[in-house]
Amino acid sequence: MTVTTEPPAAAPPLAPPPRRSAGERARAALPIVARWAAALLGAVVVFSALIVFKGANPLEVFPDMWLSTFGRPRSVSEIVIAMAPLILAALAVVVPARAGMSNVGGEGQVIVGAIAACGVALATDGTLPGPLVLALMMVAGVAAGAAWAGVAGVLRLGFQVNEAVSTLLLNFVALDLLLFLIYQPWRESAAGQPTTPELADAAKLPLLTGSTVHIGIVLAVLATIAVFLVLRFTRWGFRLSVVGGNAEAARRAGMPVPALLLSALLVGGALAGLAGVVEYAGVEYKLRPGFGAQIGYVGFLASWLARHRPVPVLVAAFVFAGLAVAGGSLQLDAQLPAATVNILTALILMAVLGFTQRKARRA
Amino acid sequence: MSIIIDVLTGGVRGGTSILYAALGETVSERAGVINLGTEGGMLGGALCAYIVCAETGNPWLGVLAGGVAGFILALIHGLLVVWRGANQFAVGLTILFFALGLTSLFGASYVGRSIIPFTPVKIPLLGDIPVIGPILFNQDPIVYGSYLVVPLVWFILFRTRMGLLIRTAGERSEALTVHGISPRKVRILAVAAGGFLGGVGGAHLSIAYTNTWFENMVAGRGFIAVALVIFASWSPLRVLAGAYLFGAALALGPALQARGFAINQFALHVVPFVLTLVVLAVLGRRTISAAPAELKRVFENGPPDP
Amino acid sequence: MTAARVAPASATAPPGDAEPLMRVAGFTKHFGEVQANTDVEFEVRAGEVHALVGENGAGKSTLLKMIYGVYHPDAGRMIVDGAEVIPGSPAEARALGIGMVFQDLRLVPALTVTENIALALEGGQLLRLDSLARRIAAASERHGLAVHPKSRVQHLSIGERQRVEILKVLMTGARLVILDEPTSVLAPQEVEALFGIVRHLRDQGFGVVIVTHKLPEVRQIADRATVLRAGRTVLSGVDPADYGDDELIEAMVGHSVPALATERSLVDVAASPVLEISDVSSRGDRGHEALKGISLVVRPGELVGVAGVAGSGQRELCEVALGLRETTRGSVKVAGILASNPRRVLAAGAASVPEDPVGDAVVARLSVLDHMAIDGRPLPKRRWGIDWHGIRRRTDHADARLGLRIAPRHRRLSDLSGGNIQRVLLTRELGLDAKLVVAAYPSRGLDVSNVRRTQQILLERRAEGAGVLMISEDLDELMAMADRIVVMHDGHIAGELAAADFERQRIGRLMIGGAA
Repeated sequence: MTVTTEPPAAAPPLAPPPRRSAGERARAALPIVARWAAALLGAVVVFSALIVFKGANPLEVFPDMWLSTFGRPRSVSEIVIAMAPLILAALAVVVPARAGMSNVGGEGQVIVGAIAACGVALATDGTLPGPLVLALMMVAGVAAGAAWAGVAGVLRLGFQVNEAVSTLLLNFVALDLLLFLIYQPWRESAAGQPTTPELADAAKLPLLTGSTVHIGIVLAVLATIAVFLVLRFTRWGFRLSVVGGNAEAARRAGMPVPALLLSALLVGGALAGLAGVVEYAGVEYKLRPGFGAQIGYVGFLASWLARHRPVPVLVAAFVFAGLAVAGGSLQLDAQLPAATVNILTALILMAVLGFTQRKARRA
Repeated sequence: MSIIIDVLTGGVRGGTSILYAALGETVSERAGVINLGTEGGMLGGALCAYIVCAETGNPWLGVLAGGVAGFILALIHGLLVVWRGANQFAVGLTILFFALGLTSLFGASYVGRSIIPFTPVKIPLLGDIPVIGPILFNQDPIVYGSYLVVPLVWFILFRTRMGLLIRTAGERSEALTVHGISPRKVRILAVAAGGFLGGVGGAHLSIAYTNTWFENMVAGRGFIAVALVIFASWSPLRVLAGAYLFGAALALGPALQARGFAINQFALHVVPFVLTLVVLAVLGRRTISAAPAELKRVFENGPPDP
Repeated sequence: MTAARVAPASATAPPGDAEPLMRVAGFTKHFGEVQANTDVEFEVRAGEVHALVGENGAGKSTLLKMIYGVYHPDAGRMIVDGAEVIPGSPAEARALGIGMVFQDLRLVPALTVTENIALALEGGQLLRLDSLARRIAAASERHGLAVHPKSRVQHLSIGERQRVEILKVLMTGARLVILDEPTSVLAPQEVEALFGIVRHLRDQGFGVVIVTHKLPEVRQIADRATVLRAGRTVLSGVDPADYGDDELIEAMVGHSVPALATERSLVDVAASPVLEISDVSSRGDRGHEALKGISLVVRPGELVGVAGVAGSGQRELCEVALGLRETTRGSVKVAGILASNPRRVLAAGAASVPEDPVGDAVVARLSVLDHMAIDGRPLPKRRWGIDWHGIRRRTDHADARLGLRIAPRHRRLSDLSGGNIQRVLLTRELGLDAKLVVAAYPSRGLDVSNVRRTQQILLERRAEGAGVLMISEDLDELMAMADRIVVMHDGHIAGELAAADFERQRIGRLMIGGAA
């Protein structure tokens, strides 16, 4: 063995990175594009078959859906309004996912965020100026959402309870809390519908000038940009990627793994809490049974559609918000129940989850 | 005394749908797959059972139809998760939305339609035993069916070759590959078979318990079933106890109210969920160490490379 | 087939004259460019214990996997019971009466002994566990394998699990039982029990193959031995009694090539050590005692090599040194600082080359540059974010200095080969000006020129005053580079040799638990 006596043999150069022309790149991307196209087409075909079975003509239904969704300014506003909380709820999944965790609890975090906001509104009850109340509601909603997710975080770190299971269960606890509050202590009147009193106008989310759209969408887009920048550029964001990709590598590099996991869940919960505030102060103005229309769950699916990346979340939220609005038009034009679009939503997701990604290495 | 009988009777009646679903989920999780789509499978089962019952007038065919609907939805879940390697939680919720949409589309015309449902049948002699009689032996046929299905699931899981293969698929799939058996096939079939039971659970809701159909009538029972299986550490017998406990918690509110006690129904409704969380926390390490090994992998790993 | 029916007629015949149960001739197998087996000759007779001996990587497991139908040989013949046949799958091998007990036992821990065996047996849908349990009890008595049919495997010791595996193999009708390194995971008294079982099987007429590195075991149990080295048969079916220890060791590890003298700077013995391990015990992942009272010192400017058969506690030693594994006794100090957690150790100035790069250091989705940032030092700040320019500069600098020519910075690690991954990690860790370098198998996966370069870099680090703890399977490498070699055996330090005393045979004897 001649370790020190021999000059170093030159390391063989690594194969140069493949330089590909635009055409070659397009050809390489083709199977992916084709897969997506085939998956989405498959979803539409299955959906068509189902509504044909129900006596509707897809050749009429789809153009009607398209027209009444995008052809009327009112529908476009509705989509934008629906997008705002959805984006935030999806981001609530994106951040923990970066650290390798499943936050299925967006639904509960949205609800407690709205409850906290409503609590602030009821407690201040016109004694404070509207914008201040709004600001307080946001702080409270964010804190409540984070705390709700924090419960799951503590259960995971302290007791090894899987966060997907615990966040899911906490959704139902939040729902019962909501129902309790609106049926009893916070109920507007014992006689009427079980709802809380309406939020004072001054505390509602202001509208964008010259439109019916509230500023929630601006908040949501800003949040998306913030999440993108934080995950992409900050040291915290980078550490989350390492923990999410290989927790052992993170531990060996001396990273505080438990703190990173917990912080990712807290930030996720905070975003969902904000979604609850936006839905409450921007759309519904009062808590009622069925508050939020499953924003948390749809947000979870939107995050999956976006493959847990912040900017594509905007597209995914747009798709789901569009489908929700299209559901309304289905009811009007084709006399099909509004929830029918859930079928299309699910089929698209099945196609995307099952058929556009590389197959898992192991079963 | 009568309130205890009321609550327990209600517990058995109200817990039966959860019991079936949780038994199905037990089979699925024993094979290493969590099926959050159970909620959707129950919904599909509830509607199909209702439709068939309404159209044929035969509730027995209804139960079968419910099971088949649950089977198909779970089969989709199994194929996407096991064959295509998609994330279990994401697919589970997708299945729920699929079922929400389908049942809304095909169920609209059945809202408010009446059926001839299953009714409680008192079993001679047994039904006359004080306390136990009215609780256990004055029930509808699907409840009686569950008395058979619990030991049957136990027997299949622990006393047949099929059950051995299912458990091995959930514990160490290499041990099947060595013997030339495809763990994927075993898992997909276990998930689908579990889905059949979930569908029967849904059928119990619509054609024996509430005797009506309305949108999203399952209202989280499927999710309770998923949690219950973990709570019961994957044992069919403990699932039975847990399901009745949850059923009783749900039945306690109305029973108290009927006697003029102002009890908060939401506080009671939340009990099963909080209880499950507490038990999971207390038993945390122990429960997870009892989990099928393949399931632990799901628990420990986050979302895969999306 | 049940074990009772297979007691072969040849049991009474003297082993030497018996027709072999199984014979392999000219087995050859390559994987890519690696020639794993070349022209291997091997035979097993009924009623004998045949030891298959060789170093790690000598080709033993490739040979066994071909015999068991897992791999298909590129060339060669196999004769079982006088008929020429090459099993195409493990099931076919089992049908031929060949049974294998893998080192990483293939039992399902959550199931009972009976259920595990039921899984392997043909049968109807009903399990009839009680009657099977009775059959297991009877078979376990007949073969001298104490096994409780109703215990859960996870509650059994490794030795008991091994007995279950053997019983399972016998109950599926094997006449040839292959034990892959059965003693490597056993305590001494369990080894005794196992050998009792093996002798019993031999006396009943079974053919037993036992894979081992350990010469005393060969002498203790084997009727014949076959030695493989670098994929070739060096000794085939010889009586170990005819050979001395030195001859067998030489057959295993090859001719002693005198190491070229490496210029070794004088180590300042008075300098305070960069790594001081004092009487440390620790548990391995399986809960067994992996380190048993280890004491070890590495001083600045010193390269300490660690030799040993795989699984003698090397991984745990590295992890203890880096604060990654809790100790049950003793203390570890890195540059005078107590190594209680990885952050402290890294802050004290440690760098490490992990044993299992993919499991311990690679984040598949991240790029080469990203990995260069995960070096255990605080991430360099630049306003709100990370100073990627600084990391890039540092990377370029380290790459130029070390000359391992790492892959383009934007490539994802999941797209790189093992060798390229190793070069990234080496450049990161050895580019740091660490006081202590813990390098586990640093040249693993590299081609020859990069192996050289890596060895040189380690020596340069040493010359610059770093203390290096280096684990290697390659004795030549260790003898050429180290100032001292510590030999590990079964969680102990079996011996320590100064550079003047380096000698293959001595190290080899210490590795296999003999006296220096």
